[in-house]
Amino acid sequence: MSEESIVIIGAGHAGVQAAVRLTELGWPGRIVLVEEQDGPTYERPPLSKEYLKAGASDEIPALRKEHYFDEKRIERIKGSGVVGLDREARNVTLSDGGQVQYSKLIIATGSQARPLTVPGSDLPGIHLLKTRADAEALRTAMQPGSEVVIIGAGYIGLEVAAAAAALGCATTVLEFQDRVMSRVTSDVVSRHFEELHQEHDTRFVFGTAVTEVRGDGRVQEVVTADGATYAADVVVAGIGVVPRQELAEAAGITVKDGIVVDLDSRTSDPSVYAVGDVTRLIDEENGINRRLESIQSALAQAINAANHIMGQAPARHEVPWFWTVQHGVRLQTAGLRSPDDDVVVRGTPESGHFSVLYLRGGRLAAIDTIAALGDFTAGKKLVASGAHIDTDLAADPANKLTTAVRELVDETR
Amino acid sequence: MSKTLINVIDREGAVREVEWEPEQSLMETLRDNDFPILASCGGTVSCATCHVFLEKPVVESLSPRTEDELELLEDAEAYNPEASRLSCQIKQCSSLAGINVTLAPEED
Ligand SMILES: Cc1cc2nc3c(=O)[nH]c(=O)nc-3n(C[C@H](O)[C@H](O)[C@H](O)COP(=O)(O)OP(=O)(O)OC[C@H]3O[C@@H](n4cnc5c(N)ncnc54)[C@H](O)[C@@H]3O)c2cc1C
Ligand code: FES
Repeated sequence: MSEESIVIIGAGHAGVQAAVRLTELGWPGRIVLVEEQDGPTYERPPLSKEYLKAGASDEIPALRKEHYFDEKRIERIKGSGVVGLDREARNVTLSDGGQVQYSKLIIATGSQARPLTVPGSDLPGIHLLKTRADAEALRTAMQPGSEVVIIGAGYIGLEVAAAAAALGCATTVLEFQDRVMSRVTSDVVSRHFEELHQEHDTRFVFGTAVTEVRGDGRVQEVVTADGATYAADVVVAGIGVVPRQELAEAAGITVKDGIVVDLDSRTSDPSVYAVGDVTRLIDEENGINRRLESIQSALAQAINAANHIMGQAPARHEVPWFWTVQHGVRLQTAGLRSPDDDVVVRGTPESGHFSVLYLRGGRLAAIDTIAALGDFTAGKKLVASGAHIDTDLAADPANKLTTAVRELVDETR
Repeated sequence: MSKTLINVIDREGAVREVEWEPEQSLMETLRDNDFPILASCGGTVSCATCHVFLEKPVVESLSPRTEDELELLEDAEAYNPEASRLSCQIKQCSSLAGINVTLAPEED
């Protein structure tokens, strides 16, 4: 019998971590990491942050140096994606026609930026931001003085808006909802970031739906449902991502807006795992049913897939967390808020440093820290502990969040 | 150019000499040499999972910690004001040859 091999599809954050973890645990067989894009692996967060800034380095940091893969005997197939999955024969077909056998398969195909679908969406000058190539194209297009219209005020849209404004572009953000980052944060945080961007001359238009993009050979203006038009040299659509689940779906693996996986990252096929943005984690016992687009979650799932393959217990459950930096102001979020949570503001937005606590049944469900990193780790631990918290204590920034935790822990002893 | 070799002391207390390549942060070197630091934020001072201890004179010879780095470190359980650094914030430099780097314990 030939040597056992694990094939990993996608060399993004999740795929690379899965390969790394398998070598750490001493997987004895082959590891084949297949990536449709050419070139070294790379970090994605800088694509919408540092990389777009004026004078930024052309280098995008790699997830691992190329020679790392050689040293670990992780075989890399680059520039050729997987186009077919045959579960019966246990092999994948590459776009160049080649085939690779697997004993275990890890699908780490990530997500793709949701494209604009209104008339004119194919005009040159419209950008998505997902890959290194996208970031290069956007950086070339955004020149001082350009009119940049961003569709969508989520993390990506706002990070791009900050970069565009700093480059001296006339920047407009069009958003369907009535505030920025409405999907992920509360009103008070939205307003804070909105003001921050306004101070840098970014214009927001809320409650507006883009209906058309017009231009003669390339974009010139964006049209909204109320008939307004916005002049544009560059249009960036930051309207979310969709999981790249087609391969799994076509092969009959269970998908529900994401490849369905359990806490061990197993799919409905025992030989196939899935990790990262492409997955939906369903764990009915613990009431979990979610698709997350974050590096922390991609890495945790990758580690759990490798652990399961190697017969190890799943890693300690980490509270989901995320970060974004806009105009130098850092927002870090731990836990997952729900719109029904009680909101407690710790400190004042006016001071520029504050945190927002989201309480559910007296326990901390999530926290946002705004230029208040000192609260982040403590808050994350509080979320993980599930302890009841004393809101008065916690709301006063004079008390360290850790102290508030400790007192409570003591009380319950 | 001579190689920059450093000594890394892992969480079990074992010492290993590794090469620190130019252009790499200390975090990247640790990660590429299989030390168990997750570095989930990729070196952007967001996660504190790259926390290490350096010897006091080494810390004093480096440029000071930024406010963000300090805030994250101060909250770490094992924080030591004289020794704690986020390894992602330390660039390679030949004067760092031979230093001892100790991985901070994993957070609970
Ligand atoms: C601009 C930007 C900024 C971000 N900033 C942050 C941030 O600050 N913090 C944070 O937590 N998250 C951030 N994210 C989200 C984060 O990057 C994702 O959650 C993370 O990359 C998910 O990892 P993944 O491995 O699942 O997917 P990806 O990293 O997207 O990797 C998937 C890989 O699979 C490859 N692939 C897909 N299909 C195939 C196929 N059929 N064959 C071969 N290869 C294939 C793709 O080319 C890709 O390289 C950001 C994302 C973007 C785009
Ligand atoms: S790698 Fe996250 S803080 Fe250093």
